[in-house]
Amino acid sequence: MKILAIYSNKGGVGKTAAAVNLSYLASLAGFKTLLCDLDPQGSATYYFRIRPKLKSGAKGLIKGVKKAYKNIKGTDYEKLDLLPADISFRNFDITLNKLKRSKKRLTKILTPFKDEYDLIVLDCPVTISILAENIFNTVDHILVPMIPTTLSMRTHRQLLSFCKRKGYDTEKIHTFFSMVDMHKKMHKELMVSASTTFNNVLENVIPYLAQIENMGIHREPVTVSSIASAASKAYQGLWNRVEKIISAEKMKEDIL
Amino acid sequence: MLNNIKFDLPSGYDEQQLISSLADQYAIKKDLYHSEIIIFYDTFDWRLFNKSLVLYESRRKLCLRELNKNEIIHSIEISSPPVFIWDFPNSELKNQLAPIIDVRALLRLVKIQSRSTRYLILNQDEKTVLRLSNEEIRSSRGRHAQPLAAHIWLLPVKGYPKYYRGIVKRFEEGGLRISKEDTIYFKGLESVNKKPGSYSTKVDIQLNPDMRADHATRSILKYLLRIIRINETEIEKDIDTEFVHDFRVAIRRTRSALGQIRHVFPSNITNRFKKNFSFIFSLSSELRDLDVYLLNEDRYKMRLPPSLCDDINFLFDYLRKKRSKALQRLIRGLKSKKYARIINDWEDFLNKPQTASPTATNAELRIIDLARKRIYKKYRDIVKTGSLIKEDIEDRMLHILRIHCKKLRYLMEFFSSLFPPKEIDTLIKQLRKLQDNLGVFNDLHVQEQYLLNITKELPVVEEQLKKTSMAIRELVNTLSKEKMIVKDAFAETFKDFSSPKNKALFQQLFASQIPEVYNENISHLQQ
Repeated sequence: MKILAIYSNKGGVGKTAAAVNLSYLASLAGFKTLLCDLDPQGSATYYFRIRPKLKSGAKGLIKGVKKAYKNIKGTDYEKLDLLPADISFRNFDITLNKLKRSKKRLTKILTPFKDEYDLIVLDCPVTISILAENIFNTVDHILVPMIPTTLSMRTHRQLLSFCKRKGYDTEKIHTFFSMVDMHKKMHKELMVSASTTFNNVLENVIPYLAQIENMGIHREPVTVSSIASAASKAYQGLWNRVEKIISAEKMKEDIL
Repeated sequence: MLNNIKFDLPSGYDEQQLISSLADQYAIKKDLYHSEIIIFYDTFDWRLFNKSLVLYESRRKLCLRELNKNEIIHSIEISSPPVFIWDFPNSELKNQLAPIIDVRALLRLVKIQSRSTRYLILNQDEKTVLRLSNEEIRSSRGRHAQPLAAHIWLLPVKGYPKYYRGIVKRFEEGGLRISKEDTIYFKGLESVNKKPGSYSTKVDIQLNPDMRADHATRSILKYLLRIIRINETEIEKDIDTEFVHDFRVAIRRTRSALGQIRHVFPSNITNRFKKNFSFIFSLSSELRDLDVYLLNEDRYKMRLPPSLCDDINFLFDYLRKKRSKALQRLIRGLKSKKYARIINDWEDFLNKPQTASPTATNAELRIIDLARKRIYKKYRDIVKTGSLIKEDIEDRMLHILRIHCKKLRYLMEFFSSLFPPKEIDTLIKQLRKLQDNLGVFNDLHVQEQYLLNITKELPVVEEQLKKTSMAIRELVNTLSKEKMIVKDAFAETFKDFSSPKNKALFQQLFASQIPEVYNENISHLQQ
């Protein structure tokens, strides 16, 4: 099993849209996939037409694995399940802070799902705190959407230095460009500059498209509602790249 | 967690009406139509079925599941279906099947088509909360072919148990039953007139203790004739080596019955058919010997140092050529007038009405009395011969003992229905251990002799012959060493077989008049 986090310490960069579409494409490719909606706003949950109601809230989720299991809902797609968001996730950090070994709690929660799922995707809230550390401790890969703006690049630098300071492996972090407007000169220039400044920048680009915003109306992945669209193709390209990253890692493990 | 379940739909049931009747309470959306071909496999003697296993191919996958269960135990991707276990890619599936199917070929039992239409039950957010699938099984692709079976599957969506339970309740109230039987498997086989488990080499003859001996013997021999007939028609197809093997075992058993169940038929009849079956048996001997060598090819090569492996290939290539000639000879033999005459005469004799006052002395005995007498006699022969084999074990004596054992084994199997199953099974098990030891010894001995002789007939140039002969000599040496190990184990194995406990049990079941001294033994054991 592999765990992939879609993470950013900056809001509104297209995390959820990426998490929803990548999870769906993974399930389509045969991966038994669990998408965990850790964002209290519950957008991923909403996209899959699932009610954001966690039976015992974040407290229960952290304490009892069995309870987490009970909260899992099947989506409309056969190999894709979802752990819905809950409004009490807004207190995730506070709840974690009160517990022992608080930085490794997420690993403990997800371990029992190892046998059932091939891939777990975490749709993460904007955070750079104890929850972020839980995520870095738990996951195999971190996928960071980045809008090619100066602010985004600055935030990304902050993330990398946070990881270095705390001793987390920055090799796990992969970046892709999100909400890109190819008409903007600045976007184009900053993409070139980011690719040379940072390691592990994927060549895949998710453009800024109305089709992606319309996901809120259709309440399904754009890769389902308009399969032939530019948005759909962009996510398919991104998934193909991500699948290679996951599988390469697996091959390495098999050899070892 | 909720499981997928299916309900049987009685024939003529209107599925459309069922689906539309749900619409008053649920939002239903028609989803996918799906059709797939399923092919079931098993060996000729139903080895998988006998272990409650079902092997089938569907969508380029070979899957193993338990009978009457839906969960797949193992599955592998395949480009073409494997026939023998050595055709399988290394996998858990192969590991599980290997000891079961052994050297038998997998045969295609039946090909069926499953057509299903899926429906989605939606909640008020138009989210799928349950899937229904209406599946029809047909034996051919024809659009108008009558379905063999129809059912409706309930495929729960995690986290929405309410809908699942609601529909289960509605179906049950509507008189539908949860399907527990393996409908597809059994109905599919029925459509091609195949009955699972219908062929087995295990002697399973139900006899009544008071039956007249000649009548009971005929029942046994008719059973064996059926096995001979079934296998003789398959040998020509050369599907696997076991048709010849089963054919030979049935002939050997027939010969043994004729020789061992004495004086139930007129002696001229018994003598004639003993001779006839000996002739038929000889037709297949060369082929069977060659099969044994070739089946053991890998094992032989493992015994040799790698440097000699290539040199021994000449031997196996030669044996393969010899085998195809031997097979043709056997097929010609089975098609000959002589063979047909023997088998037809034999069939006529077995089906002839029973004579009211037979001339053979044992014909009118109760079969239980004759069975006891013969089994006990053979048992004593074994104990006597075995006790003569002392420290200096002669190969010839082991051979005689092996033949006695085989005869006893057949007698016990023919008559097993006349005795308490638990006791007879215990004794057969004990006997089998001794037979295994003697059998392995005999195989090694025969192989050693064969290899020593074959060098003379190998058609290879002198240079190659030298190398091959060296490899063969090396092989003979290893076989010799193994033979000694098996021989050393004989004394211990025989001691177990002739133990007082076993002796007492043989006496209890088969000795017609139990001497007092043994009676004491038995009561001692029973305490």
